[in-house]
Amino acid sequence: MSVDLRGWRIALIADALLNAEPGASLPDVIAVLEASRYGVLQLPPAGGAHGLLLAVTADQIAEYAHHGYAVVAIGVKGQVESGLHWRRLTSLLQQRNSALPPRHVIAPKTDAGEEARRLAAFLDSHDIPEDEKRRWRV
Amino acid sequence: MTKPRKVALLANCLLNQNAKVCEGARYPGVASPVVEALRKRGYQLQQLPCPELAFAGVRRWWGVYEQYDTPAYRSHCQQLAKAIAPLIESFIRNGDEVILIGLDGSPSSGVRFTSSKPEWGGRPNRPQDDWDIVPRRGIWIEELEMELARRGLPQIPATGWALDMGRFDEAGSRRDLEEFLESREEAAPRAGDVRGGNAAT
Repeated sequence: MSVDLRGWRIALIADALLNAEPGASLPDVIAVLEASRYGVLQLPPAGGAHGLLLAVTADQIAEYAHHGYAVVAIGVKGQVESGLHWRRLTSLLQQRNSALPPRHVIAPKTDAGEEARRLAAFLDSHDIPEDEKRRWRV
Repeated sequence: MTKPRKVALLANCLLNQNAKVCEGARYPGVASPVVEALRKRGYQLQQLPCPELAFAGVRRWWGVYEQYDTPAYRSHCQQLAKAIAPLIESFIRNGDEVILIGLDGSPSSGVRFTSSKPEWGGRPNRPQDDWDIVPRRGIWIEELEMELARRGLPQIPATGWALDMGRFDEAGSRRDLEEFLESREEAAPRAGDVRGGNAAT
């Protein structure tokens, strides 16, 4: 093995942001996440029955949150629950004794550059406390 | 039905390197060359669950195929396959061109190659990366393909990003991926035909 480059920060992403329609007035979320050294956990498309998949996602969120990783959620206005399956996730995370991650919602049809800057500021402002970093990130 | 799309199923850690075992992350978050190559060619991305993270946690030791080849782990992978298969089935039934990019060398997500060392076990004190690379699917990919076959779906053309092959060669991996994607474009007339899928590897 070798030097480990993980960024220790993860963003739950609405499917509509990761796979934005061509021509959609949305920031390039993947580019912003890369620049901020975040990994991606993709949520299922809004609507539809994805109970089992959301439970699997909740297991992963809880596992990260309990072991020194910062987790945030990024949704998009205009989608049901911003594309974040928030009600279902709330219940699933409660069952796993895990808090809901901080949430940021992107507004389409506004200036995509400004939305990208807002997103970057949000991402950069979130991490776990220093004492928790020292505990886990060795 | 929506207009047929190009959809790439991605091993979880290609979008999130935090899922890797300790010392296994080669990027801070997203495996940029993979994502860049796919987006450039118009693929939508569908991340697969990480079976190892969900089973053994984020602080697990690294292991080889034989260590994960247990009834409990296979059962776990089958449950994950049941969770993601409906979404994959919806893509295929919609006529989308679906491909799979796994993680070569991984005991779970390997496509062309997995890691093998039947004698590994006990205290994890191996000083060297002395596992072998063998041409075989990882356990998660085996179970996922079995679930898709059970649903009567064709085999998905697949390749692997060679991140877990011991000495990672990013340039070589990029060439392999581009060749694979090029081969899919040549096969494009067959896209949308749910009867006509063939594994490329």
